[in-house]
Amino acid sequence: MENRIKKVMSNVFNINVDSINNESSPDNIENWDSLKHMNLIVALEEEFRIEFDDEEVVDSMNYALILNILSSK
Amino acid sequence: MKYSELIKLNNELDVVVDGSEYRIVILSNIMVHQSKEICEFLLRTESVNANVLLGEYDNIIQDSTKFQDANAIVIFWEACNFVDGLQYKAESLSSPEFESIVLKIKNEIDLILRNLKDIPLVLINRFSSLIFDQFSLSNNKMNQLVGRLNVYLKEKCGVNVKIIDIDKVISRLSIKSSIDLRYYYSSKTLYSIDFYKKYFEYIKPIFLSTTGKIKKALIFDCDNTLWKGVLGEDGFDNIKIYNEIQHLILHLAKKGVIICLCSKNNPQDVDNVLENHPDMILRDEHIVVKKVNWSDKVSNLKSISQDLNIGLDSLVFIDDSSFEIGLIKKELPTIKTFQVPVKEYEYGLMMREVSNLFYSPSQTKEDIQKVKIYKKQLQRSEDRGRVGNIEDYLRSLGLALIVHVDDLSQVSRIAQMTQKTNQFNLTTIRYTESDIKKLVEDELKTVISISVSDKYGDSGVTGLAILDSDKSAIDTLLLSCRVLGRNIEYKFMDIIIDFAKNKDIRVLNSQYIKTIKNQQVSDFYERCGFVKIDEVDSSSQYNLHVENYKNKDMKYIRIENGK
Repeated sequence: MENRIKKVMSNVFNINVDSINNESSPDNIENWDSLKHMNLIVALEEEFRIEFDDEEVVDSMNYALILNILSSK
Repeated sequence: MKYSELIKLNNELDVVVDGSEYRIVILSNIMVHQSKEICEFLLRTESVNANVLLGEYDNIIQDSTKFQDANAIVIFWEACNFVDGLQYKAESLSSPEFESIVLKIKNEIDLILRNLKDIPLVLINRFSSLIFDQFSLSNNKMNQLVGRLNVYLKEKCGVNVKIIDIDKVISRLSIKSSIDLRYYYSSKTLYSIDFYKKYFEYIKPIFLSTTGKIKKALIFDCDNTLWKGVLGEDGFDNIKIYNEIQHLILHLAKKGVIICLCSKNNPQDVDNVLENHPDMILRDEHIVVKKVNWSDKVSNLKSISQDLNIGLDSLVFIDDSSFEIGLIKKELPTIKTFQVPVKEYEYGLMMREVSNLFYSPSQTKEDIQKVKIYKKQLQRSEDRGRVGNIEDYLRSLGLALIVHVDDLSQVSRIAQMTQKTNQFNLTTIRYTESDIKKLVEDELKTVISISVSDKYGDSGVTGLAILDSDKSAIDTLLLSCRVLGRNIEYKFMDIIIDFAKNKDIRVLNSQYIKTIKNQQVSDFYERCGFVKIDEVDSSSQYNLHVENYKNKDMKYIRIENGK
């Protein structure tokens, strides 16, 4: 699962998979703005065939949190 | 393809695709940011160097003055967001309030179209109330609103404006899959990723036609593609013309699409159908290039592209055989291919999908003359020989011959093959079931039947050889045309020779009896190393010193025992 999340993030933000760590967030990924955030959410939903609820969309603000939320699904 | 993969490939294509930039700006009163990569990707894969910019959210009027250097503008102007919450407010509007909204939007239409009058191409979606109106039985206010505005829009749009019926895209995908209302109320995104994929696929031909990347030629196989049945087997009188398909093709031909044939058949047989079959809609005059022969289709399609002097990526090829489609996909991947659906009733809709690839905004005199122009050009160009090598493709198929010997359970199929097979049939001797049964039980006769399998499936019993040890001769040799073009016939000969050796035959005799349908095998025995010793009227006699036979050594075709 970790690898698939990282793959999606690297595709959406056009960054290297290896550069993604637990702290990866809008603060250190230049491309991660509010529009790209929605792209990330839809891409993750498509990849894992799940749906985020509103709170989860807002909470998914770094890699560790995303992993956490997806693991609970 | 998944959205995140598409984003990645789109970034990669950005570097690869060159040529002049094609700037598309998408204006909208909803959030459409996911459309950017999807639109770019679909065009970049067709080698259009597309670059998509998005206007500001709900800022269509101001933005319409801003992007004067755009090559194309796409407008998503959603009625539900003309006024915030209009989809639920509309019904309780008073008549003056309703009219004021109509007037407001009409004025905005005028303004926007005026601002965009110098943009070469403006695509604007028809106003739609479908999403929020889907359950309504009555002609409600939203419905009336979009109805009136659509009439107005149609009146006002100039030659550079094309109105897109967005409801068609929504219907094909279903309303449920087209929208994602979760984020509509919070952030005014309305459409799903899947919708954008379908939408831009649908309008893509418009961009391709303005950038010169539109498909130009449509190439058909004949048997089970233009008509039902196999001409060489079923005969002129027994094929059934695909009426609907041919009408659709004729319409394309009249619009200037170059129609060609690429078929494994005897050329004079197909010509005869084109000239004389009473049900045919397509005639010789509609067809620009005919490659009707027994060569492989890769060579034929290449030579069509050379004859017409257009790129392979301008060709669309339709065939009923998964073998041929697989071959072209592998060897000439830039050719767009379609396989005739197994369910005949689906063919008409598929043909309409194909037709859309040849979109042209308007028809010119040249379009109508195109068939004549191309035909003349062809008279000047000389015939180029066969090119390419299909061995690599055959190797990838995982071909196997399954050999059955004197198999009583196959008697009826074997008899049927001797009765029905005409083209690859060396002697065309017809046997009944009881004849075959006797041959199977005769010690001195060997009845060898084969079926062919590859990664696409098993052909069933499609080949037959009857070896007569008494006369040291091949009595019968035939193959169904379904399995031709795969070098099966040569591998089959290797097998026959092995049987002859086992029967201690030193000199193997064979004959070719000419019929009106089997001319493609007239030199088959010579191709296999037999020597012609006699020719009387329509029959040629051959023999072969078995120890001199050269095994073809085609390792990519496996041999398996049937039992």
